[in-house]
Amino acid sequence: MLNRRDFLTNTAWGFGGLAAQAMLHTEDARAENSISTGSNGVIQTLHHPPKAKRVIQLFMGGAASHIDLWDDKPALRKHHGEKSDFGEHVEAFQNGLGPWMQSPFKFQGYGESGKQLSEAVAPLGECVDDMAFIHNMVGKTGVHSQATYLQATGFQQPGFPGMGSWISYGLGSINENLPTFVVLPDHRGFASNGPKNWGSAFLPAKAQGTMIFPQRENPIEDLLPHADYVTPASEQATFELLDKINRQHEAQRQGDLRFESRIRSYELAAKMQLSAPEALDISQETKNTLKMYGLEKAGSTYPDKINPEEEAEYFGRKCLIARRLIERGVRFVQIWSGNDNGFPRRNWDSHEDIQRDHFPLAKGMAVGTAALIKDLKQRGLLEDTIILWTTEFGRMPSTQGAKGRDHNPFVFTNWLCGGGIKGGTSYGPSDQWGYKPLDRTNPTQVYDVHATILHQLGIDHRRFTVRHNGIDRRLTNVHGHVIKDILA
Amino acid sequence: MPYRTLRNIATILLLFTLGISSWANAKEPESLFPQVKAIFENHCLDCHNQLEQKGDFSLQTLSALQESGMLEPGDPAASHLLSVIITQEDEDRPSMPKNKDPLSKEQVELITQWIKQGAAWPEGIALAQPVVDDFDWWSFRPIQTPDVPATENTWIRNPIDAFVLRKLNEKGLTPSVEANRRTLIRRVTYDLIGLPPTPEEVQAFVSNPDPLAYEKLVDRLLKSPHYGERWARHWLDVVKYADTCGYDKDKLRPNAWPYRDYVIRSFNQDKPYSQFIEEQVAGDVLFPGNPDGILGLGFIAAGPWDFIGHVEVPETKIDGKVARNLDRDEMVSNTINTFTSLTIQCARCHNHKFDPFTQQHYYGLQAIFSAVDRAERVYDLDPKVEQQKIDLNQQLTKYQNEQKNIESAIQAEGGEELTALVQQIKELSSKISLKDKAPQFGYHSQISKNQTSEKWVEIDLGKRMPITSITLRPCHDDYGGIGAGFGFPVRYQIIISNTPAKIRSDQKQNVVADFTQQDQANPLLSPIKIDVTGNQARYIRVTATKLRERKNDYIFALAELQVFDEQGTNVALKAKVTSLDSIEAPVRWARTNLIDGIWPVSKNADAEKQLAQAQKEHVTLLAKIIPSERAKQKEALEKSIQETKKQLSALPQGKVVYAAASNFKTEGNFKPTMGNPRPVHFLYRGNIQAPQDLALPGVLPLTKEAVPNLSLDPAHTEGDRRAALAHWISDKQNPLTWRSIVNRIWLHHFGQAIVASPNDFGRMGQLPTHPELLDWLALEFRDHGQSFKSLHRLIVLSSTYRQASSHHESNAEIDGSNQYLWRATRRRLDAEEIRDSILTVSGKLNRTMEGPGFYQFVLEKTTHSPHYEYHKFDPNDSASHRRSIYRFIVRSSPDPYMTTLDCADSSQSTPQRGETVTSLQALALLNNRFNLAMAEHFANRLEKEYSKQQDQIKAALQLSIGRNPTETEQTQFQEFADQHGMANLCRVLFNLSEFVYLD
Repeated sequence: MLNRRDFLTNTAWGFGGLAAQAMLHTEDARAENSISTGSNGVIQTLHHPPKAKRVIQLFMGGAASHIDLWDDKPALRKHHGEKSDFGEHVEAFQNGLGPWMQSPFKFQGYGESGKQLSEAVAPLGECVDDMAFIHNMVGKTGVHSQATYLQATGFQQPGFPGMGSWISYGLGSINENLPTFVVLPDHRGFASNGPKNWGSAFLPAKAQGTMIFPQRENPIEDLLPHADYVTPASEQATFELLDKINRQHEAQRQGDLRFESRIRSYELAAKMQLSAPEALDISQETKNTLKMYGLEKAGSTYPDKINPEEEAEYFGRKCLIARRLIERGVRFVQIWSGNDNGFPRRNWDSHEDIQRDHFPLAKGMAVGTAALIKDLKQRGLLEDTIILWTTEFGRMPSTQGAKGRDHNPFVFTNWLCGGGIKGGTSYGPSDQWGYKPLDRTNPTQVYDVHATILHQLGIDHRRFTVRHNGIDRRLTNVHGHVIKDILA
Repeated sequence: MPYRTLRNIATILLLFTLGISSWANAKEPESLFPQVKAIFENHCLDCHNQLEQKGDFSLQTLSALQESGMLEPGDPAASHLLSVIITQEDEDRPSMPKNKDPLSKEQVELITQWIKQGAAWPEGIALAQPVVDDFDWWSFRPIQTPDVPATENTWIRNPIDAFVLRKLNEKGLTPSVEANRRTLIRRVTYDLIGLPPTPEEVQAFVSNPDPLAYEKLVDRLLKSPHYGERWARHWLDVVKYADTCGYDKDKLRPNAWPYRDYVIRSFNQDKPYSQFIEEQVAGDVLFPGNPDGILGLGFIAAGPWDFIGHVEVPETKIDGKVARNLDRDEMVSNTINTFTSLTIQCARCHNHKFDPFTQQHYYGLQAIFSAVDRAERVYDLDPKVEQQKIDLNQQLTKYQNEQKNIESAIQAEGGEELTALVQQIKELSSKISLKDKAPQFGYHSQISKNQTSEKWVEIDLGKRMPITSITLRPCHDDYGGIGAGFGFPVRYQIIISNTPAKIRSDQKQNVVADFTQQDQANPLLSPIKIDVTGNQARYIRVTATKLRERKNDYIFALAELQVFDEQGTNVALKAKVTSLDSIEAPVRWARTNLIDGIWPVSKNADAEKQLAQAQKEHVTLLAKIIPSERAKQKEALEKSIQETKKQLSALPQGKVVYAAASNFKTEGNFKPTMGNPRPVHFLYRGNIQAPQDLALPGVLPLTKEAVPNLSLDPAHTEGDRRAALAHWISDKQNPLTWRSIVNRIWLHHFGQAIVASPNDFGRMGQLPTHPELLDWLALEFRDHGQSFKSLHRLIVLSSTYRQASSHHESNAEIDGSNQYLWRATRRRLDAEEIRDSILTVSGKLNRTMEGPGFYQFVLEKTTHSPHYEYHKFDPNDSASHRRSIYRFIVRSSPDPYMTTLDCADSSQSTPQRGETVTSLQALALLNNRFNLAMAEHFANRLEKEYSKQQDQIKAALQLSIGRNPTETEQTQFQEFADQHGMANLCRVLFNLSEFVYLD
């Protein structure tokens, strides 16, 4: 059996005919023509000149608290412990409507914008002047599943393509040696809805997210053969024989373009076998880079209890790989933090204890994310890569139990960064408690965020539709407007 | 809004000066109002209606518009309405309509003119959500008997060919020659049974001189049980079948498969379509006593279901309501999309934009499903057992009623005193709360269904010693809202002894406290102290003779048992504890908790004392008003009830299927309706918080005259509603039903349907390419036994179906996509066909039919959110070598291998699979562990069956692609196999275009 390293070393001279080509054709993503839609997207001509070409979406599964990370609420400090009063009847998911609770974390101002951030995300302090916060996001439900679907696909029900699928389908790939849309799930398990959050649904299967688990023996399933009888030589001969026989077959079936594409798909597969492991191999990264991403002690043993160092390693590794994928022309990368609601808790659904769970998760996330922003920036990639930080909803300003917070679908925070987004912005304030938007009649919805991202990519969200079972579907359903205030 | 106020005043002044005549009267016959009305309804009313009034403005009615001050009749310049629909200086577009395209110049001009002419608005007219009221659409029209074209042509084998040839002639196309026999047998075998023909079958057919060889082949295939397995899969794609619920947690549905088997069986039995429809929508009502009547209801339950939204969130909460509304939406759309090919779900939030269906129609359908949920349901009960069940339940009700009568008699006699006491106990109980509740609750017996079964717990002090008092301390557990006194026995006694239980006789023990003759008040948290001064003992036993009720069952629990010696020291600490039985669930419950020195203490001692007192009074009072005769009667009744329940639970439970149900076991907040329809309201904008009128059960009108509401008896059951819907669908006069199903069957024989949008026959769907053929097929099918097998036979025997797939330059120029069928459409095998073919040729296919699905993953962490770990699965696990239709289908984590091969997504209706070509597919066929393992099995099989390599290669090709290798191929393959072995060659074969495509 071949391990990955052997396989690569061997195949470099093995089925080199195909592979050498692949390496020669590896394009530098930054050198792409800015109007290009890529080679195989359905949108041949962009609707307007784009500001960005790639997207990284960071999804915090379980619902990350806006008021403990990004949205400082002095009123909660002042009224901490007092009976909460929302001024109206509130229905909370688990009736967590105890006294007002201040954040267990200290807040401090950063950057020229003076943005107040909690100590749990302090590493991002250096980046705030590149980030645009949207503090008046509202959802539709406090149920994880539907809310996660809504933020991931724009619809509350299953059966709709994820944002990454839409963008892959519309714009195609920049580098065909790698999947167009890559997902890095939390390795401990899937958040609500699992792979359905990045499924292609009614779009072609190629638009689905390809899962990569960097810590597994096979980070990408089926990338390489794991069988005793497969050797480098047999592998080369296999590709050659297949090519020959399939070409003979094609020659007898004139006028059917599928067979040519099929032959080509095997060539691309061979290229991907080389490019993908290379993209995931962080061994050549400098010590400084590894340190920046929280990976200086990678592989350490950690205590059983959830802790920031361990979280930083997990999330930081995904961020570093995201950068490497983006550099190599992957169109859309989605990183997940937080698994299902199993025991012990390893997600953001802090019903019991904000301090215990939010702090390590947030710290780990912030280390990796800050590194990603700074690294993309220094490599000139941030200007045309959008980063979106999101979650399914926020958490209540009142107490649940003694230290936890219940779901708050009525307001939460998203932030964007790079790709023509105006840094140092805080858009759409929430009210003094962080309970609802300050201006309740003009909240921001996921449709607006999706419309804005598509807009930056050169797509008018209203014109990008696909007819499915008699309905013209689009990512933004029948809603959405571009949030002009956060654009540079 | 000062501006608005000024405007209002101005308008009022204006009305005074002009009078209101110009508003309310449309005197001029050529009034512009109808056109203006249409613009308002289509572009403005969505937000500016009476309910929503965005920007505090509604133009729904004349009076609302008058009050708004947005408009001055006769004076466009002064009408604010115009300024919002025209681009203002410094703006790049008009401010209204918001988030929509601006009105056209013509529309703005029309409104301006209308205002100029006095803004006429006929009295009594209110604007309404636009409704499409044009029923003149091809699919709604009755099916007409079309004349079969009378063309004379030897190519024509049956009427299908006549219709197809006429169209070909019209378009200047010519049909292709007939495919060769090898191609034909491969094509028709895969199409009908989804498996490859064996080399022997190919050989026999190719060399068969019988002129009816093909007909006989078709008949053989239609008789094969594999036919049902193939065609059930197409059906399950449409109805979203899966073996898990989807959504958060994605829990397993271990009993979904009987519905899958029902579909397979129905196809194999060639069940008439109307029966197939009726069983799936209302089989329980229309086919009582027939298991298929219940199994069919798996259809309604087939789609996704939100566990959290139903089980964890109560129906009273908004999220709970949303979940239930969306669940009914899924049932409605599944039924209407599947059987009638209409996109009715478009009318949930607003009237259908393209088809003549309103929100009222939509919610009328929701009302039909308002009493059913998705749950497990028994389907195979023996009628005798069912009768027994009914009898026992009746008996139980009788006993319970008698019990109620006694209770109310007691209540009556107890009068105000009893009522007041009960009230007082309730109030005091709520005041009692615990001081620092410790996690160790105490000792807890096993649960009993019988209140009078005896339970005991005993401590062993280690040696005989003088003791002075014994104290029992009750438990506290919030379970079932019980709290203080949890599990404290109703009747009990305390025994002391110096002899071990094994050899203890009545003489060797001493009953120091006997409370077995009368019910004892629950002491709540007050300790029970028994003075035993002067005794010596080693063993102390508490025996409960009447258990305390928990939640429809009975237990015995104690927090602490203390025994004091002459110095007042508790000598029970560290004693050994034994008991008849116990629930050992530390930290909370354990025998050792009985002597750990931990028991619950009330915060409010006063309230507790009062409560204990009240309890005591309560018991005394009850004893007074219940004469011994009544007490006996009461006891006897309790016993009878227990006995009946026992008999009921001893009856065979039957097999269960996950189906539509209105009576099932409650799980958390998920409770059965017991057949009582939930009120369904027509929801403004689909918003659960904006309910409007109550929706009446109804179906869809297909003509202007049709009455959608069902005429049901006022005393109808929920099942009657579904039965009425089933009959509306299966009605011979419903043109959609019959067109829809023949179109679906046609699709899977030709790769494209006559109506290219099989789930949408509405205005957004495609038009039929062969409308007369569609109607002819629909009638042929409907009126001649509704037999799928006859329909398949008709189709595959046609010359149209038997054509070769070869290219034809001039035909391709006219009709490149082959929608008029001038040749056969080459197709790729679908995911199941590929997997099943690989298993077949490798000699590994296990043809066992039916039963629970097999896993292609390792299942982990099932208690909370199950993990489906595909990468840990062993492809050599022979349990998984069955046909792919028997896979356990996980909704949230679909099998990656199958998904890559364009398998249907079970979260949405998939009338037609996609067919993509991707490099990930190439990698899956090359490297997926299943393919790698099967290539090895394939090679082993060949090596076992043939000694010469030459023959092995020949057989390999015959098995995988149904033909012999050419000479060149034979050489190429042989060279390859020489160097790299047969397994590598077999791996190559699985990747051949010829293996995965059908000509």
